[in-house]
Amino acid sequence: MNIDANYLAVVFNSTIRMTTPILFVALGSALCNRVFIFNIGLEGMMLTGSFAAIVANYYTHSVLISILAAMIASMLIAWVAGIFMVKFKGAMLVVGVSINTLMGGLTTFLMQLIFDVKGAYVSTDLVGLPKINVDFFGESSILRTMFGSLTWLDLFAFVMAVVLYFHLFRTVTGFRMRSVGINKPAAESLGIKADRIQIATVVFSGLLSGLGGCLLSMGGVTMFAQNMTAGRGFIAMAAGTLGAANPLGVVVSSSFFGFAQSMANMLQNSSISSQLTMAIPYFATVVALAMFNYAKIRGSKQKEKQ
Amino acid sequence: MAQREKKVILQMKNIVKYYDTLAANDNINLTLHQGEILAVIGENGAGKTTLMKILYGLEHPTSGEILLNGQPVHLKNAAQAISCGIGMVQQHFMLFDPFTVAENVVYGREPKKGLFFDVKAANDRIAELSRQYELPLNPTDKIQGMPVGLRQRVEILKVLYQNADIIIFDEPTAVLTPQEVHELLKTMKQLSVAGKSIIIITHKLNEVMEVADRAMVMRMGKHIADVNIEDTSVEELSFMMVGRQLIDKNIESLAAGEDVLRVENLTLAGNGLLPVIDHLSLHVAKGEIVGIAGVSGNGQSELVRCLFGLQKADSGTITVCGKNIFNRSVRNVRDAGVAMIPEDRYIWGSAREATIAETAVMGHYRSPQLSRNGVLYTKKIRGFAQELVDEFGVKTDNIQYKTGSLSGGNAQKLIAAREIRQNTPLLIACEPTRGVDIGAMEFIHDRIVEKRSAGDAVLLISSELTEIMKLSDRIYVMYDGRINGEFTRETVTEEQLGFLMMGGKKQ
Repeated sequence: MNIDANYLAVVFNSTIRMTTPILFVALGSALCNRVFIFNIGLEGMMLTGSFAAIVANYYTHSVLISILAAMIASMLIAWVAGIFMVKFKGAMLVVGVSINTLMGGLTTFLMQLIFDVKGAYVSTDLVGLPKINVDFFGESSILRTMFGSLTWLDLFAFVMAVVLYFHLFRTVTGFRMRSVGINKPAAESLGIKADRIQIATVVFSGLLSGLGGCLLSMGGVTMFAQNMTAGRGFIAMAAGTLGAANPLGVVVSSSFFGFAQSMANMLQNSSISSQLTMAIPYFATVVALAMFNYAKIRGSKQKEKQ
Repeated sequence: MAQREKKVILQMKNIVKYYDTLAANDNINLTLHQGEILAVIGENGAGKTTLMKILYGLEHPTSGEILLNGQPVHLKNAAQAISCGIGMVQQHFMLFDPFTVAENVVYGREPKKGLFFDVKAANDRIAELSRQYELPLNPTDKIQGMPVGLRQRVEILKVLYQNADIIIFDEPTAVLTPQEVHELLKTMKQLSVAGKSIIIITHKLNEVMEVADRAMVMRMGKHIADVNIEDTSVEELSFMMVGRQLIDKNIESLAAGEDVLRVENLTLAGNGLLPVIDHLSLHVAKGEIVGIAGVSGNGQSELVRCLFGLQKADSGTITVCGKNIFNRSVRNVRDAGVAMIPEDRYIWGSAREATIAETAVMGHYRSPQLSRNGVLYTKKIRGFAQELVDEFGVKTDNIQYKTGSLSGGNAQKLIAAREIRQNTPLLIACEPTRGVDIGAMEFIHDRIVEKRSAGDAVLLISSELTEIMKLSDRIYVMYDGRINGEFTRETVTEEQLGFLMMGGKKQ
């Protein structure tokens, strides 16, 4: 394996493709963090999105309807989770885990029912997300390698991060969202419908998870596999935390995990055992979280000393 | 002042409010004139808070009507009250610590520029308001780390930003230092001169006498009297509030016996550069109440935690009746002969979800009368709890109810009862009457003095100067983790105490 410019370009390209599904979900997680909701159900919501996209694709062969189906299905699940967590004050951990378990089983079951297959469903009839045309970069350009075979949805993930950043820190609704996370009773006493804001945020995180899931099942190979998110929802939660619940920070942390994922894929072709390389993203998550918390504890100690 | 000629801005007529069968407000009438400061006074449970909640739209009266400028209004919620020009400065501040002053003040009515939150307009508006009403505050400062007095100022600005004409202050001085109280009373007067009408709920009569034009007295849900401040006195007001004469007792000092508590060179480094407790030494003798005065946050809480074994100190010695209790466990400390009324009745003093009987028996349950071999004698425990409840006049229908169902003052009485009944040689009493009405306060004070007169020692920590000065035989002033001065009952004056509390040096 020789590392040249072209190789790096391939890594870059693969990193982006691995990043964006996580980025969508991580943005959702960051928003939930901001309104003081510990949404562990993102994994299940993402899986719902992946599945709903393929089902809609199977019946309609329409990319647009597939994306819409992914968004709506995930939002519905998120809405149920939100109602249970906020209105009925259910333990967030329990609600989230239930969502994950339920959707894991339900998608597997429905897959058998609808597609009559076990494990995974692939078909040439399915339509993937359209790729961005990079012909204008020229025939052999390295830029072409870097930005090739990306979809508009990949691009949209980054746009979304910027939009959410401005929403959160520059608009009144964003200001009120943050306030709910800081002191919910105070927000309520000032006439803000805090419950509604929390539920709406969870529902929106469902929408984002749906997009992330859709990107996962229709971005590269268009297919659905049993439990195909494989912990990406959890990795996204870590990314949300590492990004300090700041949309732009989340872009950085998600890219880190995307890079880890892409390294895992690249190293599959090397002599290192694949069981080890597959563990890289998860190992990276643990290490990154540990380092982040260590830095935070040290930071707060230093602040106290001043 | 000739208020009779002034415009009546608010009238509450024949207000009745029932909770189940309990009349919280029984035919209350309230009149407020423009530019007037009206004090609504009464003991805990007298119904003042209910009345104000009705005025602020948080509760709805069973019957009765509210007239604003002569027009009847129905206040369904706080938002509606605010739009009618009624504002409330809450007792528990409703602030967002990481946000700036301006962000907090404009919250809910943020100025916008297109899609965005216009932070600059907010800052300008708040700067202008703060100048107009002489409430110095920097709009861009964060709430985090602000002293209580400034936080309250932010709350007042909030109400002014809402264009309130009637401002309700709910127990505004409960958490303030004497200097801050002084500032607040000045602010209230300024506001009334600027045409705002003010209602202040309180049971601190000295403040009423200083700031109010008129007082409305409530007792057990009933309207007792309306009096002009010029024509009344603290004694008369307290008589009307409590319904009986409170005797201003002089507490005689006893000849102090041998030391029960000795603390020498106690030091707690804490996380910062400066130690939280800095080579602190003190002693408390038999038959003596020793008060620790100080602005809260000068190490008092940490001192108590170190004394009681809740926190490990770094160096020094602590002995109780000659026994070393330095850095021992809480149980060791209690066994050595220490009981404590903690400063926060819910965090340290009780469990809201536990029954009243369970709260009463905490710390007592190991006595052979109440349990054996780890099995509790339920019947005896209930008897014991009932005794405490009866003796200290804790108002409750049933000791099997949750502790959280008691009002704050009654929960405090229960905790005080429990700790005093430990009959230990040393009682540490932290804010023993916080949020308690004057009747109950007098009662708890009497029990503490009784305990001292029986030959026990009491260490009293309180941010309430009058309490410290009334009870203490000796007073230490704590500042920056050190003892900044010491007085005896005979030599103390409020001015000197205040001066030392702010870090001044004793002359």
